[in-house]
Amino acid sequence: MQLMQSQNPPESEITKLSLQIWRRSPAFLFFLIFIYISTPGYIFAEDKSSDTIDLDFEIPEAEKKPYSFNAEIKISETIRGFDKDSLLFNQKYPNSRDDGTFFQTDLNLRAEGSYEIGIVKLYARLSGELYYNNDEDWENGQRTEEAYVSLLPSPSLTLDIGKKVSKWGKGYAWNPAAFFSRPKDIEDPDATQEGYYVVSGDLIKSTDSPLRTIALTPVILPVSEDINDKWGNDERGTERDILWGGKIYFFAFDTDMDIMFLAGEKVEDRFGADFSKNISVNFEIHGEAAIVLDYVRYVTDQQGNLTQKKYNAKNYLLGIRYLTSHDTTYIFEYFRNGQGYTRDEMKDYFTLVEDGYKEYVSTQTMAKLSESRQYGHQFYNRQTVMKDYLYLKVSQKEPYDILYFTPSVACIYNVNDKSGSIIPQITYTPITNFEFEFKTTFLLGKDYAEYGEKLNDYKVYAAVRYYF
Amino acid sequence: MKKALLTVFICLCISAPAFALDGNEMLEKVDRNLNPESFEMYRKLINTESDGSKKEFVMYSVKKGKDKIASVFLSPASEKGRSTLRVGENMWLYIPNVGKPIRITSLQSVTGGIFNNSDIMRVDYSAEYNCEKVEPADDGHILHLKARTNTVAYDRVKMRVYGERLLPDKLECFASSGMLIKTLYFKEVKDFGGGIVRPAVIETDSPLYKGYKSVIVFAKVKAKELPDEVFTLNYMSKIEGLRK
Repeated sequence: MQLMQSQNPPESEITKLSLQIWRRSPAFLFFLIFIYISTPGYIFAEDKSSDTIDLDFEIPEAEKKPYSFNAEIKISETIRGFDKDSLLFNQKYPNSRDDGTFFQTDLNLRAEGSYEIGIVKLYARLSGELYYNNDEDWENGQRTEEAYVSLLPSPSLTLDIGKKVSKWGKGYAWNPAAFFSRPKDIEDPDATQEGYYVVSGDLIKSTDSPLRTIALTPVILPVSEDINDKWGNDERGTERDILWGGKIYFFAFDTDMDIMFLAGEKVEDRFGADFSKNISVNFEIHGEAAIVLDYVRYVTDQQGNLTQKKYNAKNYLLGIRYLTSHDTTYIFEYFRNGQGYTRDEMKDYFTLVEDGYKEYVSTQTMAKLSESRQYGHQFYNRQTVMKDYLYLKVSQKEPYDILYFTPSVACIYNVNDKSGSIIPQITYTPITNFEFEFKTTFLLGKDYAEYGEKLNDYKVYAAVRYYF
Repeated sequence: MKKALLTVFICLCISAPAFALDGNEMLEKVDRNLNPESFEMYRKLINTESDGSKKEFVMYSVKKGKDKIASVFLSPASEKGRSTLRVGENMWLYIPNVGKPIRITSLQSVTGGIFNNSDIMRVDYSAEYNCEKVEPADDGHILHLKARTNTVAYDRVKMRVYGERLLPDKLECFASSGMLIKTLYFKEVKDFGGGIVRPAVIETDSPLYKGYKSVIVFAKVKAKELPDEVFTLNYMSKIEGLRK
């Protein structure tokens, strides 16, 4: 059987893209209408007075209520341009695709609420999404991101039970010491995460000595098929276990420091530490280190034979934040991923994918390609999968006196194979509770390089958020 | 001649209480007149642009001692739950979605507009500045303040104080180059109860933001006993729980 090839006549990429956009008409039209009704011209009228500025000095929010409710609705459009020559494209679509781009329209609703009764506080944050894309048509999903009960008998003592996000570490793009968190999205490090079901606490003690604060945060996290089954994003299977760990925070000599650990019967024990300090008013340095004892890395050779490499994996990160007198912020980080693959190991994997694809093209046999897909899903096709990375983000606050407007560009660079991605982005919040975001991602890299072999060449993302 | 000497003597006696204080003592008095050492307050921050459009933020803040202040945003919805903490020159921002505090600097602005973090998380003036000179002015004095360290947002500040209560009515903030960065005007003196009588409104403008104006409105300024543990990173997500 021959590979399915596109029957479309040759067209320029722009023409193709335009046609595909309009073919997605229901979702795209919906998106455009939403953008139109939320343009500044429509909304500003409510915020302005014609001649004088009428300032309201009343503060009704000063009256406390026992409950609170907040929500955020977001509509976004994502366009991904496939790299049809990449190995991961061939791995996923061995019969290729007629279209060169993938469209998805998302409608997300995130709602959070809390209720306080004495020393007890109930909190929940839920999210739901409705999306439309080329492959799945209309689909929906929902998740409980956090839902927990807090007991606060005093400011120095807190006990939390339920699903909760625990973010540890000082890194911006990566957090090797965040033992109880889900992996970050490197393209959106600030994105809201889903928590795990935990029992955790906070015991804080402040002193007048040079050690101004010491705080202990113990955590217990049960793992089973019914609860926290996705712990650690581990696709090898879930074994029943009770994980326990903790973090001790110190604030001394104007420096934040943490020491943390995680242990369990069926997981690799791990220890970590981090620090953050301003060495001048506009220059901050931070670092993070973790060691995972007896870490097992699964490595395939070019033939698909999977072997295990067991060692103590050392991960660390060093970074800075620097603010110039022109309000430009630089965030720069180096990440050493001790759990990652070497250049040769990745080449072996890519060779397996390529051989599997060639075998499928010539003999229609899926065996090797399926094997590569399985390894990709479990181990290789993830973010930050290799050893050494650099991250740089440059953002400019309110250039040309445009209030609430922040353009930025982020770069991720894989030192081992010299590939990477560049992510220009703008966020603009000209109207209270409205936020506009536009982001593009360009992936750059040669053959057999991490970013050169990704499924996509580029991604365009536009979103409007409304908070209420 | 005797009459003239007597007049001078009487004038000196009348003005003695003010000059009896040196500049730094006056500055400490200004601090205590603006707020007790340990207190809570609500503030509304209003940023207005040259076209008249405006954006408002409401925050609840607690302060203790000379250099500890914590705040949480109550509105707008997009900012709700964000909290800031300052201990000395250390400043942190906690964003609920991000889920952990990050270090920020006094020069940045968590709200945008003319007010920067140092204005919003203001600690006692006497903690940050040394009074180098006091000049007499109409119905008051002008205090010439110099930053104690180079980590303070404004290198020099000219503060005009007036009346028996020694309340400020105008603050001019300068960079180390001598450039005027912004001017703060203290207005609408109000009795908040509990002996706290202070300006309820601070307006600011800046030659760097022509046509823009920012205003802070104070409400429910009240003395409050606070444990030190409130001013820690671990407590940043819980500051709103202090409200009664």
